[in-house]
Amino acid sequence: MRKVSFIPVLLLLSLVFSACAAPVAAPTDEGPEKVTISFWYNPPSGGEGADCYEENIVIPFNEQSETIFVDAVAQPEAWNATRTAMAAGEGPDIVRTPGPSFVFELAQAGQLLPLDELVSSEGWDDLFVDWALSLGEVDGTVYSLADELETLVLYYNKTLFDEMGWSPPSTVAEMHELAAVIANNDIVPFAHANSEWRPANEWHVGEYLNHVAGPDRVYEALTGKIPWTHDDFVTSIELLNEAQQNGWFGGGLELYYTSTFDEVRGLLGSGAAAMNIEGTWTAADLDTLYFTEENGGNEWAWVPVPSQTGAPIYDIGMGNTSSINRNSEHPEAVAEFLSYSFSPESQALLLKNCGKAPAPVRLTEDAMEGVDPRIASIFIDLAAASDNGGYGYTTWTFWPPKSDVYIYEEIERVWSGDITTEEFLQGLDEIFQEELAAGAIPPIPDR
Amino acid sequence: MAVQQELLQPAPDLARSGTMSRKRFFRSKIVPWLFILPIFSLHFIVVIVPSAQALYYSLTDWSGIGAAEFVGLENFRQLLLEDTTYRSALTNNAKWLLFFVTVPFAMALIAAQILAPVSRGAMIFRTALFIPYVLPSVINSNIWKNLLSPRMGIGAQLAERGIPGLDIAFLGRPDTALITIAFVDNWHFWGFLMVLFLTAMQGISKDLYDAAKIDGANRINEFLNVTIPGILPTLVFMMMLVAIWSFLVFDYVWILTQGGPANSSEVLGSYLYKQAFNRFEAGYASAIGLTMSVFAGLIIGLFGLLRKRGWEI
Amino acid sequence: MFGQRREASLFPNYVILILLLFFAIGPLIVLFFNSVKTSQELIVNPMGFPRTLRLANFVDAWNQGGFAQTARNSVFLVVTTVTLELILAGMAAYSLARLNPPGQGGFMLYMLVGSTLPVWLFLVPLLFLWIKLRLNNTLYGLTILYLAFNAPFATFLLRAFMVQIPRDFEDAARVDGANEIGVFTRVILPLVWPGFLTVGLVVGLGVWNEFQTALIFTSDPDLFPVALSYYKFTSRFGRDWTLTSSAAVMMIAPVLILFLALQRRFIAGLSQGGVKG
Repeated sequence: MRKVSFIPVLLLLSLVFSACAAPVAAPTDEGPEKVTISFWYNPPSGGEGADCYEENIVIPFNEQSETIFVDAVAQPEAWNATRTAMAAGEGPDIVRTPGPSFVFELAQAGQLLPLDELVSSEGWDDLFVDWALSLGEVDGTVYSLADELETLVLYYNKTLFDEMGWSPPSTVAEMHELAAVIANNDIVPFAHANSEWRPANEWHVGEYLNHVAGPDRVYEALTGKIPWTHDDFVTSIELLNEAQQNGWFGGGLELYYTSTFDEVRGLLGSGAAAMNIEGTWTAADLDTLYFTEENGGNEWAWVPVPSQTGAPIYDIGMGNTSSINRNSEHPEAVAEFLSYSFSPESQALLLKNCGKAPAPVRLTEDAMEGVDPRIASIFIDLAAASDNGGYGYTTWTFWPPKSDVYIYEEIERVWSGDITTEEFLQGLDEIFQEELAAGAIPPIPDR
Repeated sequence: MAVQQELLQPAPDLARSGTMSRKRFFRSKIVPWLFILPIFSLHFIVVIVPSAQALYYSLTDWSGIGAAEFVGLENFRQLLLEDTTYRSALTNNAKWLLFFVTVPFAMALIAAQILAPVSRGAMIFRTALFIPYVLPSVINSNIWKNLLSPRMGIGAQLAERGIPGLDIAFLGRPDTALITIAFVDNWHFWGFLMVLFLTAMQGISKDLYDAAKIDGANRINEFLNVTIPGILPTLVFMMMLVAIWSFLVFDYVWILTQGGPANSSEVLGSYLYKQAFNRFEAGYASAIGLTMSVFAGLIIGLFGLLRKRGWEI
Repeated sequence: MFGQRREASLFPNYVILILLLFFAIGPLIVLFFNSVKTSQELIVNPMGFPRTLRLANFVDAWNQGGFAQTARNSVFLVVTTVTLELILAGMAAYSLARLNPPGQGGFMLYMLVGSTLPVWLFLVPLLFLWIKLRLNNTLYGLTILYLAFNAPFATFLLRAFMVQIPRDFEDAARVDGANEIGVFTRVILPLVWPGFLTVGLVVGLGVWNEFQTALIFTSDPDLFPVALSYYKFTSRFGRDWTLTSSAAVMMIAPVLILFLALQRRFIAGLSQGGVKG
């Protein structure tokens, strides 16, 4: 026994020596004349997503640039790591946050570089659509650039709908009527779940607020003109609660809380679920993972999320923002990389090769070439909606951080019957007004 | 595998009486501390210094970035008097404590009792039951999250084969979420306890059992009058550790439910994390953290009291 | 004859033990099944036997997770932490068990209270400190953190081991003129090495499995430990469960092998210490 037990120890030791022999922090192969800028980001979608971003943007940039080397790190929980490091006056050169409302706090603490000068010198004012650029403002100064313009739509199993003779709803009333019919057929109306991502709750809160009360009401509340306790919001949350109580989301509240995304989207693919209100982030996976031959070979399609009036509304969301660290030694190098990565060409490449939602930049005509036409049409319609006012507001982009957390945590207490809709909205309003007074709300594009 | 339990004895006084020369003083008072100093200073710098800073932050309104505004005891006032989530989290920690000082101990004692007379394959069982303890919490939680899925997990598979009743969303119901998380954590933990008890039992002298038999004790008497007293030091010490850990629980709750649904499985650890990293209330979070430590400290105090009263801990 | 009857009476014991064995090991078997399925199959077959055997998952997970680097980093962290912990905590434990330092009760209480502080409480101030000391983003910096986090446990357990050693041995050595260090290395160490093995395994396991501290204190992927490879397959909202499972299998395999190889001594060690405070 004694002899045997020594073998793994020896094995371990030899491994350690090999680790010591290899340089622990491998120096980059790039020449010494290049400046290095650091960049931390969340892996966008799966391991391949991170690699995909690196292959399509970072590596080509490093190859073509003679002066700059971008050290890109895909990191789980990149935002927590960034925030903690920034608090200590460190952090990467390129600061990514999960949305405009998170920029406020960093900018206030003086951790971010004002971008106003770069906006004009780098031509970002021409590159980005107007409202998108103003989203990055704190107290009238631009601190961040928005990335991953996203929206939610209603995906549905077209094969199933055709078979059953259902047509996709366009008003909320139609949607609820249809959901009841679907449920009667022992099919899950909505492939919704939150066990992997508890904030998924807010997707639905946001949709009901924007599509029942309407974006104009939401705008008024976001700008402080009306409180969140307004009747229209009460109606919105009550309709959402009705859908949950009827067991339409994921097959029941308990299943909603315990199902993975793979599980419910798999149901959508096989026809065991009929519809799914979800973001553009899932579009690229639908064909490759869920509507597969193995899973029944069904087909998917989408319509805008139904609204009270039937007019299409696309809620605008930002998956990310990019800023420059105040302590960065090479802000101009960071700016050059940002210009490169936000260029219409790069964004088109990311959309095509990685399925990443493009930044709100003016894309060229051919940007959508080679993209699944169904997915391309979401982005084309979203762009049109954002030009003509047919848009609403996602919670994670336009609500300040504490209100946002309140929404996705406390809504569960409405669903469980702990608190009433009115109490929920009352609580939201209190936190929101506090944050509004503190100025923590990103500029809301005028309607 | 020699077990030298009987060799347990306290450390006798090394400093013998007599005139204490300088050298002697150095040897008996300073040298011992030189041995302790390295690990003590590391622990002090890494744990105590930043905790002292956190103590200061607990008296401020601080987002985690930028300036901290001194607010005195406001955070504690809010925490203890107004915060209902805090209260329910604390209650959950208390339930957690109750679960962990009973269920794993009962399982471990019974299993050790069952395993003790077995000789063939004893090592295999011991090792197998111990294995979950060596695995990381993230992996354990994720495995069980899938196993407990009401549509895909074990319950669903059983229901498909005609054994209904277990295809329940254990983690999705406010009334079962917390105990389910405790179940998963315990799956990983109880084997460790069992092995500890088993080996402690082997240290009990055979004579005691023989004497009990002569007195006509049945197996239950034997267990209560010989086995339990024999392993009491281990038992009580582990109870103290488990009680302390009950206030620090975070991993399993965070990965399995993040405190949901509807805050039903919120514990102090997950609540602290949310305040610090989701709501940017780092000052408030520090206050929560300090109270956690106070509660754990109370447990230590309680056991200290028992020790003073003559319990062998 | 008698032996057979004895075994027969243990039949219910075996039944219960086998059930418990499945309870402990079953989940791991499911994990292993899932690690060799395709993503498409996992969606339709999340529990059962794999219909296809996709061993390429391991290759993919190894490459995409960057295991070659992270495994090396973790081995480095485990070995340095364990080695230093055994030396430093061993010294402290020796002092507590034998040298009778004045105020030792206070020190033990300090260690016990120190272990009640939740890590999230002091993590952010600790990061500030580490950045000031230029220890963030280094493996040595992480090693120091792990040493400190494990210090109370290691010290307590090693002390419990040392208290049990008969003093006659040391006294004999002292009579022969050995100093304290000599007594420690020549007498104590050889006798308590099972205790060292136990503490080493528990500390090593903790370091190998750790990710929360590493996540905050390292930002250079060349320094990431193996647990971050496991996290590599997390996307913005969900996970790639097949690769996650393969990564999990690869992460726990070395632990299991090491544990199975050492378990006899490990379990013996635990018992000897009796985890007595």
